[in-house]
Amino acid sequence: MKILVVEDEKGLAESITDYLSREGFICEVANTFWQADEKISLYQYDCTIVDLTLPDGNGFDIIQTLKKIAAATGIIIISARNTLEDKLKGLEIGSDDYMTKPFHLSELNARVKSLIRRRNFGGNNDMIWKDIRVNLPARKVFIKDIETTLSKKEYDLLLYFLSNIDVALTKESIAEHLWGDNMDSADSLDMVYSHIKNLRRKIVEKGGKDYIQSIYGIGYKFTAP
Amino acid sequence: MKLLEKASRIYLLASLLIYVAVGVAFFWIIKFMIYDEVESRLMVEKQDFETYIRSNDTWSNNSYFVENKIEVVPVFGRFDNKVAFTDTLISNRYDETADPFRQLTFYTLIGGSPYRVAIRKSMIESYKLIEAISAAMIAFLGLLLVSTFLFHRVLSGKLWKPFYDSLARIKDFDWTKNKPLETVRSEITEFNELGDVMEKMASKMQHDYRSLREFTENASHEIQTPLALINARVEQFIQSKDLGENHTYWIEEIYHAARRMSRLNQGLLLLAKIENQQFTEQEDLDLSELALNKLKDFEDILQHKEIGLTVQSTGSFRKVMSPALADILLTNLISNAIRHNYTGGELRLESGADYVQVSNTGNPLKSDPERLFERFKKESAGAESLGLGLAIVKEICDNCELGISYQYEEPIHSIRITG
Repeated sequence: MKILVVEDEKGLAESITDYLSREGFICEVANTFWQADEKISLYQYDCTIVDLTLPDGNGFDIIQTLKKIAAATGIIIISARNTLEDKLKGLEIGSDDYMTKPFHLSELNARVKSLIRRRNFGGNNDMIWKDIRVNLPARKVFIKDIETTLSKKEYDLLLYFLSNIDVALTKESIAEHLWGDNMDSADSLDMVYSHIKNLRRKIVEKGGKDYIQSIYGIGYKFTAP
Repeated sequence: MKLLEKASRIYLLASLLIYVAVGVAFFWIIKFMIYDEVESRLMVEKQDFETYIRSNDTWSNNSYFVENKIEVVPVFGRFDNKVAFTDTLISNRYDETADPFRQLTFYTLIGGSPYRVAIRKSMIESYKLIEAISAAMIAFLGLLLVSTFLFHRVLSGKLWKPFYDSLARIKDFDWTKNKPLETVRSEITEFNELGDVMEKMASKMQHDYRSLREFTENASHEIQTPLALINARVEQFIQSKDLGENHTYWIEEIYHAARRMSRLNQGLLLLAKIENQQFTEQEDLDLSELALNKLKDFEDILQHKEIGLTVQSTGSFRKVMSPALADILLTNLISNAIRHNYTGGELRLESGADYVQVSNTGNPLKSDPERLFERFKKESAGAESLGLGLAIVKEICDNCELGISYQYEEPIHSIRITG
């Protein structure tokens, strides 16, 4: 899977590529509009992550070009601008997702994966990891082929974990993934804790292993014990 | 009063006065000229009379003067020897009417004894002439007045039309939109100059508005990008396997501070945007229904904090405002009511035709309720609260012409938004 990261802030571009490379993606970076323009006309990417504000051009123009020459490429906008107009315009011209800076790399990773899944299989596939199988279209979860009923939030949480295997996730990123930006309070971190507890219990009950590892002070990691 | 109406009135009044003055003056001039003519003819007759008397030294009323218009009356006693013109009415010989005459009276000696001589001339014809001229004058002046008045009205209407058209366009002008102001061009230099000035001002306004807007957005971008970098670096850093307890503590602190700063930045930008009225789209919204839907987003946390929810609605509160602002308003109100609630507390949403009220149980305020809506006014020292939520609520209310009031009745805090 090839991903192009169009971002003028070199440090951020590096962070994104490092993070996504760890997940097995092949990443390329374009720091300027013209680099990006050149790359999209030369190579094919499965997914493009585009910053809207570039020193020598506008990210929207890259998206429009991309849509003309490679309509199958998934597009995620990352922007510091969080106006509704920008979001709507982004979706209008064919981007698949819009993330406002600052974002969590884990969230970006989850969205890239979900986007590629949707693009490649139309969402009609199972997500399998160890003895966990998730049937995405039906939103059903099987542990060792036994169906487990999860609440909506627990299901979202599991999917988030499955998109970020072996990655330390902060409590904040989990809270934001589940409830959005509005829920910035100490309570949401408590809620994360209780949802994690429930999810862990449900997996273990069905004979799965305890995959959720707590990292002191930071958050959680989904990993094979 | 409209300019056209005012101008018409002044014009009408002024021309009426001038016409009346002209009419009166004309009347007097004609009258003077006719009198002058009559009097000079009377003087000529007087000379004729005197010449006749001098040569004949006698007078008989049936002499060569055809009309009996010379009256010679002997005078006895004292008399004032002077020549005078007078107006007099003499009854007509044939019918009962009295006709106007101009009369010249003088004294003379006929056959040695003094006589008072009065020579008269009929003014009937002259008066008729004056009447006819006056009537014609009044008719012509009236016609002139009406026609020039109408002409003036039509002409002014035509002349001022570009002005009124431009005015309408200026009224419709919206500096938050990209469409430039275009005034109506005409042949009149002043209007074109006014139009040029207005267009310049409008484009300056649009330009300033745009640059302000760009500035806020760029400021956001400039600050959010390094914050995104900090976040990303921290996320990368925590992936390392050999982190000590001390390290994770520091990292968490850095992470928290960066996220807090980012939220603070977003909050302040939001306030600036509301103040700059950058939320221009308007929709007819049902705030009661929106609030009810918004509560669904908070179901989890309500459940988690074991907060009892009561919803009471007696009508729908409709308001034309920006949907984005309505959403922020309600989100902030509800999350405020949850944040300052205690476990096992209560949250009440009431709405009617002209209000929405969010009430929650909570500890009494430690500070002045008046300052509740100020920026960075925090009730709890808790680092999670930014102290911007209610300031944003207040700002939205001020901008959308909504009323806001706070009430506390132990242990219920209520914030009421009224239309």
